[in-house]
Amino acid sequence: MAAKGDGPWNRAAIVGAGLIKMGELFDQGYEQMAKNAFDAAVASVDNGFDPSLIDAAFVATQRGTLWGQEGIAGNTVPSALGLAGIACTRIENACPTGSDAFRIACMAVASGVHDVVLAIGVEKMRDKSAEEGLLARAASGHPILTRGESAPVLFAPFATRHMHEFGTTREQLAAVAVKNHHNGALDPYAHFQSEVTVEQVLASPPVCHPLHLLDCCPQTDGAAAVIVCSPERAADFTDKPVLAAGFGVATDHPYLHEKSSFVGLPATVLASQRAYAMAGVGPGDIDCAEVHDCFTITEILDIEDLGFCEKGEGGPFTVEGNTALDGSIPVNTSGGLLAKGHPIGATGLAQLTECWWQLREEAGERQVALRHGYALQHNVGGRGSGVSVVNILTRAA
Amino acid sequence: MGVPAWRLASAEVAGAWGRQGGRGQVAVCGPDEDCLTLAWTAADAAIAAAGLAPTDIGGLWWGTTRPPFAEGPSWSHLASTLRLDDDTVGAVTAGSPHAGIEALLSAWDAVAAGTVDVALVVNSDALVPGAGSGFEPACGAGAAAVVLTQGEGPALLTGRTSRWMAALDRYRGDGEAETRDHYDGRLVRDEVFLPLVRKSGRSTEFDQAATRWSLPDPDGRLGAAAGRALGVDTDRVASTKPRQALGETGAAAALLGSVVALDSPGPVVLVAFGGGRATAVTVDVDEAVPGSDVAREALAAPGTPASYSAVLRSRGQLVPAGDSVEMAVPPGSAMFVRGNAEILGLLGGRCVDCGTVAFPPSIHPACLSCGGDKFDEVALARTGTVQTFVVNHAMPAPFVAPLPLVCVDLDDGSRVMFQGAGTGADLEIGQPVELVLRRYAVERGVPIYGWKVRARGGSS
Repeated sequence: MAAKGDGPWNRAAIVGAGLIKMGELFDQGYEQMAKNAFDAAVASVDNGFDPSLIDAAFVATQRGTLWGQEGIAGNTVPSALGLAGIACTRIENACPTGSDAFRIACMAVASGVHDVVLAIGVEKMRDKSAEEGLLARAASGHPILTRGESAPVLFAPFATRHMHEFGTTREQLAAVAVKNHHNGALDPYAHFQSEVTVEQVLASPPVCHPLHLLDCCPQTDGAAAVIVCSPERAADFTDKPVLAAGFGVATDHPYLHEKSSFVGLPATVLASQRAYAMAGVGPGDIDCAEVHDCFTITEILDIEDLGFCEKGEGGPFTVEGNTALDGSIPVNTSGGLLAKGHPIGATGLAQLTECWWQLREEAGERQVALRHGYALQHNVGGRGSGVSVVNILTRAA
Repeated sequence: MGVPAWRLASAEVAGAWGRQGGRGQVAVCGPDEDCLTLAWTAADAAIAAAGLAPTDIGGLWWGTTRPPFAEGPSWSHLASTLRLDDDTVGAVTAGSPHAGIEALLSAWDAVAAGTVDVALVVNSDALVPGAGSGFEPACGAGAAAVVLTQGEGPALLTGRTSRWMAALDRYRGDGEAETRDHYDGRLVRDEVFLPLVRKSGRSTEFDQAATRWSLPDPDGRLGAAAGRALGVDTDRVASTKPRQALGETGAAAALLGSVVALDSPGPVVLVAFGGGRATAVTVDVDEAVPGSDVAREALAAPGTPASYSAVLRSRGQLVPAGDSVEMAVPPGSAMFVRGNAEILGLLGGRCVDCGTVAFPPSIHPACLSCGGDKFDEVALARTGTVQTFVVNHAMPAPFVAPLPLVCVDLDDGSRVMFQGAGTGADLEIGQPVELVLRRYAVERGVPIYGWKVRARGGSS
């Protein structure tokens, strides 16, 4: 594939991005969270931005009625933003819902159909009790095949098998949580803003063997928004746009017993290969990555599947500090899903916002050294962890 | 034979109600067992012991006091899990502990009449006794099954006698959840139980000295009274050991009580009582009946001690407050109509082109490996090894934690993932396991069945 600046894959730029403080936002409804995230994205545009310039929006919301978000469709969000009348479509694609909404927004701009497009992710996860959300998940889907399949069940079998095949330890998994909570403590938008120790992770209560409480991300309300337009148009809004260098989406079979192996996620491998090819880069060109760490094991799988280290080496690679803020490939500088939270539809767009800050060197204490000028954003999830999206962003030349 | 996982000490029940004493133990179903899962266990073992395939079975007669569906497809669910042909005949006999022997008699008649060549008889019970009642410390659970054929066999059914009188013994009213105890124990003993047992038991013809007996013992004392009334020496009562191990097993008691005697030659008399009826059936054992040795072993298994509160939860008598989340798919949905045969029968689709097995077939119109769309229906293996597993600890009611989920590489090359039976504490990658039928849920009043994974030869 061609290199950066060389084809249609490079016809979308981010000119504004923002999110709200993640957490159990009992005082904000779905619509208010959307409005606050949108306002943050608008405020981030360097030269100022008139919201009426937006002619289309893609809304990323993963759950509908299950979590009390009855009837969320394309029209809910524009109305809440004062933009009723614009073109708008709701996107749903499991945990990568937000990252896929961004990918689709980029394609809408690159195709020339739309001019200035909003990708906005909103997820209200705590209008129902935490317990009910858990049960709703475990009782949904196939009445026998997926009964009891709460979210950790999608990833814990990989931990069991990864430990068996590669000797990965709970201490190595805990190192992921320690790193991401450290980063989260530096991120004012993170749900959790305190450090944890390896001992605390190991001693936390079992949730889904072999995963314990601090191996798991919390249930979090949140919203994030990104404004996309063509690189030419971007000049009106900023001197420091961030470009969409490449993206990939890939699927795998939807049930766990259909996996060919339990030590990696083929959807991540395929999606990243497509994104790397489109961007004309490889894993060694990435300066920092926001990856899907819904559980500690997931980040271990991700960094192997994305090519940052060899298969089976994710545990030692993490313990050695390679994925820390000052490591060779800093991963989840925002605190990740483990510390920042995982408001599903908003997650990908919040990760992209972190990449936007990193590439513009606005990440404060979390700022990484930019060597190549590329950041990678990744989600994987859904039934059988069978959907993955990878987006690669780059600084404007 | 089907024996449930749990054992409840009678003394613990007595203690909970402020009473002294309580001897022995009873077998109790865990939350994922009931009279159907026990029936499946016994029937599956009987078919295997007879050296037959499920398709050899022409008729299924199932006797149980209280079928899993008060009204509904109880018989067809059992037939489905046993992978019987869809032209199999038979019946559920129900309504009292006498239902077990009624199933045996009906099957016998059908074989004798030539209606079927091979009949499968299953007796099972797992009653819910009234909490605090006198029946509660005695109420056990279990199942037994036998295969009947025309002509020669290791044992021959030789005679039967029945007596009845319209009198109230143990009963459950319409809409009631719990089985009531006898209103007046001595009244039932003197005016109902002993007269009926005496009349039916004494009229059988056999070699008295060599005969082993399976005697009804609903409360732990009536069995001894029956023995005295019939002049049977206590060492000739074969049902003593099953009764002590499992408690009063209702409709399964007569057949279960005879199992120990079926492994050596000589006459055996089974006496069943309940619903104002008593029946004695005589069997001449010529040589050890295949499977009786396995049954004896199952009887000797110690089981897992369970607390009284765990038993109350399992029986649905101790229910958490608050709303329970309903399963997303209601049991009456088309999804169950489409999918029941393949889930209950554990059927897969083997790709004609590449041999990959998809499970369940109805959600896989295309092959997982090669994309082909032609499949042969295959009955999946029920043994395999653990590929990977988890144990889910964070599951509020109606789920029961810890909840293991296990991905299994079956011995026929296919792969499935199901819940684990038991706590999952002993699971390991590479471990040999087997699939057993269990009740996954009771949803809107309807039991939902599926397969669970346990250590091969395990008891959970």
